[in-house]
Amino acid sequence: MLPSRSRLSVLVFLLPPLLIYGIAVLLPILQSLFLSFFSWDGTTSPTFVGTANYVRLLVGDDIFWQAFTNTLIYVAISLVIQIGGALLVANLLFTLTRGHAVVKTLYLLPAVISTVAIAFLFQRIYSVQPEGLLNQLLHGVGLGQLQQPWLSNVRTVLAAVSIPEGWRFTGLYMLILHAALLAVPTELEEAARLDGASRWRVFTAIRFPYIRPVWITTLIMAVTYDLRGFDIPYLLTNGGPGQSSELLTTYMYKTAFTSTDYGYASSISVFIVVECLVAVALIFLLLRRRDQS
Amino acid sequence: MKRFLTAAVSAVAIAALAACSGASAGGTPSTPAGVNPTGEIKPRAISWLLSRPADGAVVKIMQQLASEYAQSHPGFQLNLITTPDRPSYIQKYETLAAANKLPELFDTDATPFAQKLASQGRMVDAAALLKSIGLYDEFRPGALNYQRFDDGSLYMIPFEYQPEFFWYNKALFSKAGVSVPTSLDQLPAICAKLKAAGVTPIALDGQDQWPLERYIAYQPFRLAGPDYIKGLKKADNLLSDSTGKAAVQWVSDLGSNGCFASDFSSTGYADAQALFTSGHAAIYNIGTWELSSLATTNLSPTVRNDIDFFTLPTVANSVTAANEYVTSSGIGMAVNAATYDPLVRDFLKYALDHFFTLAAQGGALVPVTGVTTAVPANATPLYQKALDAANEVGTKLAMPWDTQLDPTSNTRLQQELVLLAQGNTTTDEFIATMDSTIKQNAPKFFG
Repeated sequence: MLPSRSRLSVLVFLLPPLLIYGIAVLLPILQSLFLSFFSWDGTTSPTFVGTANYVRLLVGDDIFWQAFTNTLIYVAISLVIQIGGALLVANLLFTLTRGHAVVKTLYLLPAVISTVAIAFLFQRIYSVQPEGLLNQLLHGVGLGQLQQPWLSNVRTVLAAVSIPEGWRFTGLYMLILHAALLAVPTELEEAARLDGASRWRVFTAIRFPYIRPVWITTLIMAVTYDLRGFDIPYLLTNGGPGQSSELLTTYMYKTAFTSTDYGYASSISVFIVVECLVAVALIFLLLRRRDQS
Repeated sequence: MKRFLTAAVSAVAIAALAACSGASAGGTPSTPAGVNPTGEIKPRAISWLLSRPADGAVVKIMQQLASEYAQSHPGFQLNLITTPDRPSYIQKYETLAAANKLPELFDTDATPFAQKLASQGRMVDAAALLKSIGLYDEFRPGALNYQRFDDGSLYMIPFEYQPEFFWYNKALFSKAGVSVPTSLDQLPAICAKLKAAGVTPIALDGQDQWPLERYIAYQPFRLAGPDYIKGLKKADNLLSDSTGKAAVQWVSDLGSNGCFASDFSSTGYADAQALFTSGHAAIYNIGTWELSSLATTNLSPTVRNDIDFFTLPTVANSVTAANEYVTSSGIGMAVNAATYDPLVRDFLKYALDHFFTLAAQGGALVPVTGVTTAVPANATPLYQKALDAANEVGTKLAMPWDTQLDPTSNTRLQQELVLLAQGNTTTDEFIATMDSTIKQNAPKFFG
């Protein structure tokens, strides 16, 4: 129990950021929720339509559901690259005897490059004419039959826009996980190795359980970031061809700022907020059940 | 962090716009008297939100004119806020319109959204304004008609005159053993031969989407004339009728005959142009705003003598003439009724009195008659040929569909067209999707 003077200090320091958070984050969400019950084109007065926008969203809009499915696939691909790749690289860094800082900086570099530059870079990598890096590589190793327009093929485009997203933040999550791994007591690992534990066994029984709280935080960060992924798919394909790489965020943006259907766009934005909350809850639920078992 | 900001800004923008909306401007300057506001000219800074190249003729000349005007009106300033990327510009302009924050001057096509603004009295009647400053009769009728809404009203002032041609590479045509099509129906077969000769038949900027949308408009314009799209956008005409089916089948045929590069949907404007100007593509459908790239010594010497153009071919039983095709007068400039005052009128009169002469001296095609466009010193003979063709354009206009359809139907059409041209959807699926989309969304804009 804090003495009353300390409690006052805590309140003084906590209230301003809480107030800013409420104004900058909670208020717009509540305003979006309010607007989602209206039909509004931006030029005439909003008309109250009750839950019509949500009914349309759930049963009357095929693009919405395709965008939702695309978002889940996009998140899955990005997560495998980001969290899987980050964990792998963070562990591999321990095998290096020198040059840690250089490798970490190189991996972190994509996270600080501008999104537009990344989109442009990958547009060139995937290009057919002039032949991009990926198609050149395939041709070079004798897999010319696999060359294709990665951003125009409806079967490859979603993976093609997810990969830059995954690549971009792998370094950031690697840094966080590597810092957590550094805190694992070396005596525990040495004791296990003396008992004959393999590298895999050391990782699963000692390292991973030790960094689990950090891993959960990283996972939640990555999931919520990826669910709100917008810029790279928007810049690379604008959701196309057709709706093959349309995400909920790009669809919401177009609905609001191209179709000027602000009420319906608000209902999509509310869905995105709910979706993020559900995803975080699911992660906690699954991990708690695993702990209990 | 950027995505968080994007999502947060979007949410805030959507919500904030609702709070700002509702108040429409008062008195509409729609009568000749209304476009002549009385009172003293009080110099101040005014802004023009525009979607034109920052180094283009319009921006440069307007900067020059504004500077000259400011010398006799100390305190005057023209802020040019340009967003050349059209989709980004439209989003910016529609958001500002929703928040009632449009500046004194802003660019817009004659879209359904613009018509809503006009009907709310938020734009100055351009016909009345041009008449009041004595310029209305100077304009080419086609240039003004391009800016008109369906009811004939005029709320935008054109600054350009841009016929669109099919530029082609004679050497590549010769290599493939094909000649210029005399009918639109010949184009798919020509593409097949060009492709067989190892040439990309048509360079297409698929990323910006409007270039492919031009192709769906061509057959209906030839078969049914300019009124077809006016009926289609209101769901009075359907793509499932004979004209619509012909249009959809033709685009599908273009795709299946390999007219476009396999990655056309992710090819940008500059890349598409480079494909043609580097001699890799045989045809490039673009307007005269690219004359300096295609008909001057700026064009690579390796292809310079091989480039020519033809106009939109006709079809059997065509209801429009060979000299009638897409001839845009560019995005128009609208005048905000809420901020219209003696200063805005006086500056516009000064600018419009001088603009077209200066633009023509710089080699640009202008939307007024009585001014001769100067051919630049580095022009190829094709430049003059294009100017001559521009002067012979007929009276019926092929309107780009992206300026006609409601925004939701237009977005869906652009998406579905890519799938159709790529063979990812059938003509029947395409027609069913588009007819139902237009039927669902048209009433929100056309009643």
